[in-house]
Amino acid sequence: MARVNERGMIGPVEIRVPPDPSLSKVLRLAASGVASLAGYTVDEIDDIKIAVSEVLIALIEHGRGESIDVQFVVDSHTFTVRGRTPMEGFDVNDPDLQLCRTVLEGVCADHGIDQVDSNAQIWATVEHLSI
Amino acid sequence: MTETGSPDSLTVEVGAHGELVVTGDIDIAGGPILDSAITDREEHGPVVIDVAAVSFIDSSGLRSLLGAARRARGRDEVVALRNVGAEVARLLEITGTTEQFEISAASDPSPAGSGESADSDGAGE
Repeated sequence: MARVNERGMIGPVEIRVPPDPSLSKVLRLAASGVASLAGYTVDEIDDIKIAVSEVLIALIEHGRGESIDVQFVVDSHTFTVRGRTPMEGFDVNDPDLQLCRTVLEGVCADHGIDQVDSNAQIWATVEHLSI
Repeated sequence: MTETGSPDSLTVEVGAHGELVVTGDIDIAGGPILDSAITDREEHGPVVIDVAAVSFIDSSGLRSLLGAARRARGRDEVVALRNVGAEVARLLEITGTTEQFEISAASDPSPAGSGESADSDGAGE
């Protein structure tokens, strides 16, 4: 059984990576491991992998930062991935982001792109229904 | 087979009948490799892509496939996806792009180009 903190959550697990496309798979694997530890099903983990990948696509293709901060937050009902990169040069209305949004709409309970301080934050939440 | 690309997470080979055989993850790292392989094959006629060994696909991979489909329409051709498994079928279904391709599902013995969609035979989740 996964260890949870006093708030009933695993993590948050935080990872800082350079905006290197080849690291997308590494982060999917990390997310899979965390979700598996938390008891998520194979289908739910497949959705989480897609959500993580879409968040990274948006940050790598549209951000200009030297690093990307990714966070996984898991509680008993949801797995949320958040990614941040400096807001400079990031156009939240770029039409190329529409396909990311469409995919996230299909696999996530909720998702969004926000400005937090000087960063663009992209987040996506997958629900854990099989509890 | 002739290997045309070999990144860590994706390989694209040309099969015995000229089809592109894709193995691995079509993601932000693999998408450009697939793009390049498709562009090379377009010079030789209609593009057929065997995706039986695709273990993951995201919107960047889908963009590669949709770009190929768009260019094919310009030549009065259609991109055929063979052996479409659940992962690819689901992303096509989510994005409403299934009809951009001629699809044969993994369990479908009929050849690509039969016009049967992954949705119609239950390959989607």
